[in-house]
Amino acid sequence: MKYLEELKAKFGERIEEIKQLAHNQWLITVDKDILHEVVVYFLKHPEWKETQLSTMVGTDERPLRGKFSVTYWLSVNGNSDDVYIGIKAYLPADDPRFKSVTPLHKGANWYEREVQDLLGIIPEGHPDPRKLVLPDDWPSCVYPLRKDFHYSDSPQGEKYYPYREPPQGTTVHPIGPYHVALDEPAHFRLYVKGEEIIDCDYRGFYSHRGIEKISESRLTYDQICFIAERICGICGFTHSTAYCQAVEAAGEIEVPERALYIRTIMLELERLHSHLLWIGVACHLTGFDTGFMHAWRLREHVMWLCERLTGNRKTYGINLVGGVRRDFLDYRKEMIEDVLKKLKSEFGKLVDDLTSTKTFIKRCEGVGVLPYKLAHEWSVDGPLGRGSGRDFDVRRDHPYAAYGDLDFKVPVYKEGDVLARALVRIEETWESIWIIEQALDQLPGGDILAEYKEIPPYREAIGTTEAPRGENVHYVMTGPGNTVYRYRARAATYNNLPAVPDMLRGYTIADAPLIIASIDPCYSCTERVQIVDIESGKVRILKEEEFNKLSIKASRRV
Amino acid sequence: MMEKIIFALITVMIIFLLPPLLDGISRKVKAKIQYRVGASIFQTYYDLQSLLNMEPILPTERLAFRIAPYIAFASALAATLVLPFGSFVPVAFTGDFFVFLYVLAMFSVAMMIAGFSVNNSYTNAGANREMMLILSIEPVLGVAIGVFALNAHSLSIGGIPLNITFTPSLILAYVLLAYAVYVEGGFIPFDIAEAETEILEGPLCEYSGRLLGMFKWAMLIKRLALLWLFVSFLVLPIMKNIVDITTFTGGLATLVAQLVVLFIIYGIIAIIEASNARLRIDQAIRQNTKVFFAGLVVLLIAALGW
Repeated sequence: MKYLEELKAKFGERIEEIKQLAHNQWLITVDKDILHEVVVYFLKHPEWKETQLSTMVGTDERPLRGKFSVTYWLSVNGNSDDVYIGIKAYLPADDPRFKSVTPLHKGANWYEREVQDLLGIIPEGHPDPRKLVLPDDWPSCVYPLRKDFHYSDSPQGEKYYPYREPPQGTTVHPIGPYHVALDEPAHFRLYVKGEEIIDCDYRGFYSHRGIEKISESRLTYDQICFIAERICGICGFTHSTAYCQAVEAAGEIEVPERALYIRTIMLELERLHSHLLWIGVACHLTGFDTGFMHAWRLREHVMWLCERLTGNRKTYGINLVGGVRRDFLDYRKEMIEDVLKKLKSEFGKLVDDLTSTKTFIKRCEGVGVLPYKLAHEWSVDGPLGRGSGRDFDVRRDHPYAAYGDLDFKVPVYKEGDVLARALVRIEETWESIWIIEQALDQLPGGDILAEYKEIPPYREAIGTTEAPRGENVHYVMTGPGNTVYRYRARAATYNNLPAVPDMLRGYTIADAPLIIASIDPCYSCTERVQIVDIESGKVRILKEEEFNKLSIKASRRV
Repeated sequence: MMEKIIFALITVMIIFLLPPLLDGISRKVKAKIQYRVGASIFQTYYDLQSLLNMEPILPTERLAFRIAPYIAFASALAATLVLPFGSFVPVAFTGDFFVFLYVLAMFSVAMMIAGFSVNNSYTNAGANREMMLILSIEPVLGVAIGVFALNAHSLSIGGIPLNITFTPSLILAYVLLAYAVYVEGGFIPFDIAEAETEILEGPLCEYSGRLLGMFKWAMLIKRLALLWLFVSFLVLPIMKNIVDITTFTGGLATLVAQLVVLFIIYGIIAIIEASNARLRIDQAIRQNTKVFFAGLVVLLIAALGW
């Protein structure tokens, strides 16, 4: 990597170790006092314009080395390079503190609050150190992701959350926790003057399920594939793919080519259904139900196709570490072609209908503008970033699955409004159809699942995919005996959601649902992770036997 | 006398029972456009029936909250009573066109009372929007009817359609009237005050059960009143040349013609609704203001006698 010399010259001896993890992944271990400087050095590097904070992982490494660690994972995007850089610092077990990056780069805000919540690692100088992930009634000083916390524990505290005080002269207009325009619980507290939004506070993570803790405590590598897919009900397949890629990178597993192509086709089918879903939702929110119904009618064809290909409309469950579980039979290729043909003609009509509906365009145009500078500061990704002029797409910049062999365009718009995001998604839908066609043509033969021996413990790697909503990053640190030591899933919305208050300011409450929806938020994705029974406050986890019984009952019904 | 009773009965049926059917048909038309099967055309009756049978949950002790739906219902009803049903006008007197405008405004006032009587930012926003919308569209409706009154030299809604003479300004007045009726009826893209996905039906947000049922029914009757006005202005001037409206059969034929045109117009409205998104309140007001100034020009043309 070409900039390492420069880095060494600048920080000298305080860089403790530089290690290559995979062909495009580097891990730089630095002294904790310069951690924030090194992170910002890369983020603001003049030659890497689209560098962004992809994820941040806090790990309880006390059983291994008696220390905590935090790693900022940055991705170098655009035309610069295909590189992921992890910047790691070890923190003493008795006083885990590090200097916060948030004052210098807004995008770090949530990550740092999350390690504070879950691991008790304190980001010093954080401008907003409120609770982020844990429920309002979680007691302080209990950190669920520490290794000495058992996954079935369920401590109870007092319910309290410090919402921000409304600015002077404003009233509170709560959107959520339940609202027709939100498909999942989330709470946007709008501070309004009349209809105008002056400011906004956000409280989310109501659907935090403890997926990471369960994965680290009681699942095997292959089982995690399925729980990773259940992170999201819309874009689950990209999550399981990202997870598999992380383990494959850590374990140096070669995935057969045919499996890569099958993954690509399924990923793009998923994008098709997801973008059609979004178009429908956007129409519904503006009262244009005809667009809604037609978009979802088209989407249904994709769902049916996926059911024929994988056995499920959604949550395909065909990913495994090392490949896929299900092959495409030859005659099913024709089915894919038929559906694509239908989509091509009907999607064109739908787009014409949308763009010729003046009232719809009027509602989208010039609303919820996120300028490029802010987009960069918040490290937003996916169609939201591309609608604001950020020219990056994981599929093109860090090719995974079969994307390296395929040809496609990455649409970028500069306007940064809701309409730009809509247009990005519409163009991506066309590109997806084109990608599937190419992948089908080039589909190689051979195995679909690689065999591998034991995965060596304590290796780290990340896997990234371009989900319909943006960059998904899964970090895995392998553990002994077919288990992971640390698993961290980061969904696209995690980077996009914190930017929403900046997009809402200055617009009206009429625009708010559309602006919120325009990032295509996926709250369960973002919040991942305990089945908590709110009423009793107890964590309820199904025993395996119980679960099996339920599953058998469910499949009998089918 | 017998004839009058028959007309009165038919009129009562039209006012109370027809609006839910029209809504049901409109829902069916929209469903067809959206490739859905859609609910039965009688669904709105079922909805109203179940709502009216349910005890409402009251979020506030205020009397205003409880009586607002009845004020709305009474206003909508009053608006229909000055309209001509065939040859029959339930309550006719000179100047009833002002009454028509007043009671329509009363309906909106009831919505505002409903919205402001509870401490909820959603209902307040809805009430605000209703107020802005009504302030911007009521003048357009007034101007449109004014042009007709000027043309017919009559201030009675029953008398206007029978006395109008054909002039260029009249065609423009029809366009104005159609626009005003559409906006005031709260059809998409002007369902701004009750926008479901934005402010959860605005002023109706806190209503439930019987009170909600009354409000919904009243809104449907208000739409009927507005459309019936337009239909009468369209049908009566034509029918008076074909039949003698004052006779029983002539009156009946006119009534049938009015109903047929009403159904057609409701169908067209369903199509317009299905192919539009909702406007934002500021966009709607800007548009209404433009139309209002255009209306003033039409009024001027009419005053000059063209």
